[in-house]
Amino acid sequence: MKKILEIALGIVTSVGGFLEIGSIATAAQAGAEFSFQLIWAIVLGGICIIFLVEQAGRFAAVSGRTLPDAIRERFGFNYFAFMYAILGLLSLLVLAAEIGGVCVALELATGVGFQWWAVPVALSIWLVIWKGTFGVIEKGISVLGLVTLAFVVGAIVMHPPWREVATGAVPSLPQHDSARYWFIAVSILGATISPYLYFFYSSGAIEDEWKETHVGVNRIIATGGMTFGSVISISVLVLAALLLLPRGMKVEHYSELPMLLVPVFGEKGFWLLVASLGIACLGAAMEITLQMAYVTAQGFGWNWSENQKPIEEARFSTAYTVTIALGMLPVLFGLDPLTMTVFSMALTAATLPVSVVPFLFLMNDYSYVRVYRNGWISNAVVISIIALAFVLAVVTVPLQIFGGG
Amino acid sequence: MELVRDCLDKQLDDSSKRRMGRVDGIILELEPGRAPRVAYVEVGVTTLINRFSSRLGKKVARWLRSRGISPDPFRIPWGKLKIGLNTVLADVEAEKSPALEWELWLRKRVIGRIPGAK
Repeated sequence: MKKILEIALGIVTSVGGFLEIGSIATAAQAGAEFSFQLIWAIVLGGICIIFLVEQAGRFAAVSGRTLPDAIRERFGFNYFAFMYAILGLLSLLVLAAEIGGVCVALELATGVGFQWWAVPVALSIWLVIWKGTFGVIEKGISVLGLVTLAFVVGAIVMHPPWREVATGAVPSLPQHDSARYWFIAVSILGATISPYLYFFYSSGAIEDEWKETHVGVNRIIATGGMTFGSVISISVLVLAALLLLPRGMKVEHYSELPMLLVPVFGEKGFWLLVASLGIACLGAAMEITLQMAYVTAQGFGWNWSENQKPIEEARFSTAYTVTIALGMLPVLFGLDPLTMTVFSMALTAATLPVSVVPFLFLMNDYSYVRVYRNGWISNAVVISIIALAFVLAVVTVPLQIFGGG
Repeated sequence: MELVRDCLDKQLDDSSKRRMGRVDGIILELEPGRAPRVAYVEVGVTTLINRFSSRLGKKVARWLRSRGISPDPFRIPWGKLKIGLNTVLADVEAEKSPALEWELWLRKRVIGRIPGAK
């Protein structure tokens, strides 16, 4: 019974971490512009992230180490510094987008401009991390994030043409606006295969004191959570295809998002959208903030744990405090959250090789994972993800120029 | 033992198993006619920057010195180390060593002054 509860909670947590501003925005744009045609990108990204998250969890459970810890040790300081610089800049950008998402939800709810909410939102995030434990953040916020299931209910209620939805899961060439089509596909992949997901997951496994006995549980949680998360993203895309596309709305501003749920649930739909957007982004913002502090502390060998008092790990506490302050600035200065989101998701895709390549080495190193090394299927998938990551790294910038606008 | 594989960049813990940093550098002593001898390991930001670029390392050291901050890394004699599978154990007290200088400064001057830190 305890194990089942642990798995259920783990899956809920994984879903909570999966859905954030990037996956909502990119899925909505895909549906609004290309109907069901880009579902395959969510499916592909979902398969990739299932494998990466499972491996990150297995690595932590067996070796008792997190990914950044092992990357510094196995690849040396120079590679770690390179990855840290790229990941750091990217995480700050994604964090700004998430804080922007919470602020937009508050703007929709109150009518007060989003940048006015930047400081209160950043302070609230900091306060929860400052006072809360890992369990509070991981499980509390994630359980609240279940409100995003409204998208799934909405998609089912709208009775979409299931045959066309299924056809969308198979990659196909665009019939119009090729550059835009591929740019959105790349953004969806960037939003789905987020490095913060597997870095946070590996630290979480250590915080939750996972051992070798958790290898099976980890597999179920990673697969269940990421699949469930992908289903919610697909639901957003389906709703956008059914409700935004016929109205010619292309999600050029967040104010168009309520149209995903209002036609289904009426006025309640508006509040469900506000709650979904706000809570999903709040949860993601906390995870990204903590992830940055974890990577910093683990890479430099500092004391770290969200379960300790801030004074017992002053550098770790300073790391997340500074991260939140920096992440808040673009929103405070009024940068458009949607532009930041789309830009950061594409950039995530472009920088994937840096954080994915280490998997191939670490997950085959007997000194870390012993008999739990990758089998040929996992290795084939990681090699495919690396190949995909390199393709994305090459095509993202040209697509950003020709299809990003 | 392979020095770089088994020691460099490994987690460094003190005698009470408190994390105090990583093995940022290894110092070898060279004497004519004798085999090189491992003398110390180093912990410190200038050691790390030197691994990146020695020119940049010198500039950072000069800048730190001009601000009254010692750029010298903390050195631990090789004899005080025990190389484990996951960590390098140092027979020193981290809180009394320069390795935790910044941690203690932040604790006293910044984090400790914010309500709810304790």
